[in-house]
Amino acid sequence: MASSAALPQVRTLNPALQFMKLIPGVVLLASVGYAGKLLEANVGRYAKGHHWTFPNIEYVLWAILIGLAISNTVGVPEIFRAGVATYEFWLKAGIVLLGSRFLLGDVLKLGGTSLALVGIEIVGAIAFMTFLGRAFGLKPKLTSLLAVGSAVCGVSAIIATQGAIEADEEDSSFAIAAILALGALSLFTFPLIGHALHLTDHAYGVWSGLAVDNTAEAVAAGALYSDAAGKLAVLTKTTRNALIGFVVLAYALYWASKGQAQAVGSKAKFLWQKFPKFVLGFLLISVLATAAFFSKEQIGALANLSRWAFLLTFAGVGLRTNFRALSKQGLKPFAVGAIGEVAIAAFTLGLVLAAQRIFGW
Amino acid sequence: MSQPQEGTFAVASKPRSFSIDAWAVALAFVLAALVRAGVFKHIPW
Repeated sequence: MASSAALPQVRTLNPALQFMKLIPGVVLLASVGYAGKLLEANVGRYAKGHHWTFPNIEYVLWAILIGLAISNTVGVPEIFRAGVATYEFWLKAGIVLLGSRFLLGDVLKLGGTSLALVGIEIVGAIAFMTFLGRAFGLKPKLTSLLAVGSAVCGVSAIIATQGAIEADEEDSSFAIAAILALGALSLFTFPLIGHALHLTDHAYGVWSGLAVDNTAEAVAAGALYSDAAGKLAVLTKTTRNALIGFVVLAYALYWASKGQAQAVGSKAKFLWQKFPKFVLGFLLISVLATAAFFSKEQIGALANLSRWAFLLTFAGVGLRTNFRALSKQGLKPFAVGAIGEVAIAAFTLGLVLAAQRIFGW
Repeated sequence: MSQPQEGTFAVASKPRSFSIDAWAVALAFVLAALVRAGVFKHIPW
């Protein structure tokens, strides 16, 4: 076999080329996000000028709607996909920059309250989703993935748990599809419920951070209500994300004890590997802001940079949501996810209303 | 992680040592440093 066809082909993964591949998608994210911003500024003015009754729609919703329209009609062409997938990168950079708007004392005070609520939410969500998974006869590892996804932080938690408990990729994609579909629905239902119940910005923001699973959707759901609610949603969701390692570790130990996953070596190393590092960046920026490292104008500039990063994220939320693809993933996991999410949303709403009364939010 | 197809092998220039989180934090801190240094004085919204 001396022919050239038999020689191995070398496929080089050039970093510069990989970076170039991101550009079209990032430009699309920026274009969709900016179109949302332009529509927010102009549609209301146009409607008012023509004496039409038209609700004031924020750029957040416009960006998501334009993204959804593209994704569910013409689809996102291959050339844009790598760049569109960077929406999570912009989300995390935006969260770190938003740390400058929080003084450390506020983070500790609000984060402490959030931590207590998050602890209750995680225990309640895992117990209920496990019960539902068993009642519907789902595979145990799929039930674990759905429980982690709805209790902690959506897709990231599912991916982290999949590796730790050695679940099938198919189970993982079922769980991710259910969490993403329900996250998309929460963008439209949560603000309506919040307004119907006349929730304060504080209460609504904490509720979004507690009940919406995927970080991007939680931040978007908060921002759809108000700027202040968006800030609180970020803080609460970040607190929830910080606990991902503990929950994944508990599941890894459980499945290892059953002989269905590898034993966990160093628990401290495991926790550090799973810990979302952007939380540390958020805290460090907050420490710098507290130490007056930035002037008031500079904090304003950092907050605006954070808004631009979130703008790309919101466009990405719409662009990566394809309802047809999600609906192909099976009805049972979706049904379990939907029932569980409604129950968790109601449970966390009760928690928030009780906290509102106790803390006077 | 899928294996390379028979007859092909991938040559990565370097294993990726930074996670998406680390890159996001790095970008945020670079931007914060530029704002602090006065390179970006005003970011419009």
